[in-house]
Amino acid sequence: MKINRYMKIIGRKILLLAGSVFILSLLVFYISRLSPGDPLVSYYGDRAEKMSPQEQEWARDRLGLNDPIHVQYIRWLQNAFRGDFGISYKYKMDVTAVIGGRILNTLLLGGIGFLLIFVLALLLGILCAWHEDKILDRVICKIGTVTSCIPEFWLSLVLILIFAVSLRWFPSSGAYAVGKENNPADRVRHLVLPLTVVVMSHLWYYAYMIRNKLLVEVRADYVLLARMKGLRKSQVMFRHCLPNILPGYFSIMAVSVPHVLGGTYIVETVFSYPGIGTLTYESARYQDYNLLMLLSLITGITVIVCNMLAQAVSERIDPRIRVDDEGAYGEVEEL
Amino acid sequence: MRDGFEIVGIRRTEQYPASGSQSRRQGKPLVSALLLCFIAAGCLACKWMTAKDPSYLNLQYHSMPPNREFIFGTDTMGRDIFSMIWYGGRISLFIGLVSTLLTTFLAVIVGAISGCASGKVDAVIMRGVDILLSVPELLLVLLLQAVFGRPNVFSITLVIGITGWMRMSRVIRTEVRQIRNSEYVTAARCMGGGFFHVLWHHLVPNFISSVMFMVVMSIRSAIVAESTLSFMGIGLPVEVISWGSMLSLAEQALSGRAWWMILIPGLFLVVTLVCLTNLGNHLQRHVNRRHSNL
Repeated sequence: MKINRYMKIIGRKILLLAGSVFILSLLVFYISRLSPGDPLVSYYGDRAEKMSPQEQEWARDRLGLNDPIHVQYIRWLQNAFRGDFGISYKYKMDVTAVIGGRILNTLLLGGIGFLLIFVLALLLGILCAWHEDKILDRVICKIGTVTSCIPEFWLSLVLILIFAVSLRWFPSSGAYAVGKENNPADRVRHLVLPLTVVVMSHLWYYAYMIRNKLLVEVRADYVLLARMKGLRKSQVMFRHCLPNILPGYFSIMAVSVPHVLGGTYIVETVFSYPGIGTLTYESARYQDYNLLMLLSLITGITVIVCNMLAQAVSERIDPRIRVDDEGAYGEVEEL
Repeated sequence: MRDGFEIVGIRRTEQYPASGSQSRRQGKPLVSALLLCFIAAGCLACKWMTAKDPSYLNLQYHSMPPNREFIFGTDTMGRDIFSMIWYGGRISLFIGLVSTLLTTFLAVIVGAISGCASGKVDAVIMRGVDILLSVPELLLVLLLQAVFGRPNVFSITLVIGITGWMRMSRVIRTEVRQIRNSEYVTAARCMGGGFFHVLWHHLVPNFISSVMFMVVMSIRSAIVAESTLSFMGIGLPVEVISWGSMLSLAEQALSGRAWWMILIPGLFLVVTLVCLTNLGNHLQRHVNRRHSNL
């Protein structure tokens, strides 16, 4: 009986996921083809301009770009079901191969960044709530507000200017030096600056959220009772207040995966870090249709799965949230 | 802990000064408001702020560090950065404000329709919003920008405006759901008030306070979006001066170690954003002056 219910829920979720992905793919497919610009340039490079009209026509035909859009879409869909997502016009390789070569870099940057944000925000939030309205809290709040306002690309530029150009401590671009692909120390050196930007630009958002949630929690009556019973401040904080706010924090962190991901994209482009972000930027800009499709599907699926995960987590921890309660998503409140 | 005991739970009310003028000024972001006014006024009065033409390419004096003639130096194309700041700020602020207007308008319409509609319609709209939210914003902007072709101030404003409304519309929907069944709304409906009448006279005044904060923040994110796009070379071209397009010369500036080309426009940008955030936070702050129980 219970298993049956779970199966039903899981089935519904999978159906929802499939539907969303389908609409997403349709959307991206149409918009990317509506945009002006010539995919031939991305395939043939400069040679495209020197080709005669007949040759261009022939090349278009060969890439299947002359059919009506819906025919192209159906063909793409059929191939996609067989696991064939087409070739990248620019790299002339299977798009899966192009992405496969780079996704690890992004996962490294995004993953470590996400973990750091998660842990540091928790610590910082607790620190601020502990010293509420004292000098330390106020100073951290001020600094935090300022850092959260700095646009990612400008922070990257300033860090490059200071640490790469002037001091020469860290390299300014790339994921590894030429010929040192398997040298972990070199990779770490290349990661430091991008990672700093990713963490700095998101950290305060979550730390502030933790702080405010704790401040509300600390004013509850049970805290007074616990203190009257003689528990120490730290005991109340870590045993009672913190566990109460953690579920909300977990689900918000799950929802915010795309936020961090989106930030990674910009940082990657500034540092010319060979990851998914730079690839997305290139493919959208230079009409590399097949590559763009798969990339947007990957990001879209990540986002949707994370949303579902967030919902599942909060349901699991807090059974009061019903399965299809409206607005059950942990909403990421704007700072 | 003076004599071994700590008294728990007493509320020391005398800690809060009841006197008028000081507490009224406290917590209000005066400095931010003043700074913001100063920057805005400077941008509006850019013609009188500086005698130099910001788009004049004085190639003789390119990449000059700050000096007496050029207070903030010149960029790689020989343009005077001091006058570019004020002329560029005008465009940056304009994009921020106008695209926020658009965002707010769209969010209110979609949110209100979704909030008032029946369960099915509401579910469909919210799923649609979810899907739109699942496309990374950068990608959405990139695609739309490509559709509009060669970017100019209006196309950028439009693109930023129509990519930013989803979150706000969700908040508005929740607010509308809470008040749509109140008696006064029903009464207004019964008296023949149309959708837009009810929306404007009854719903908007109710959720405006909770949305004001998001509106201010959306100005902030619009300015950030414009500068990021221009910096990456998919926003405003270099000839159209804005704080973002000034920074798009950063690569050349980095190789020439021209710190003033990066730091000065960026500082103006960041100061504006910080001031906006402070104003927004002030609007949002739910005054919780109860004493901590901890």
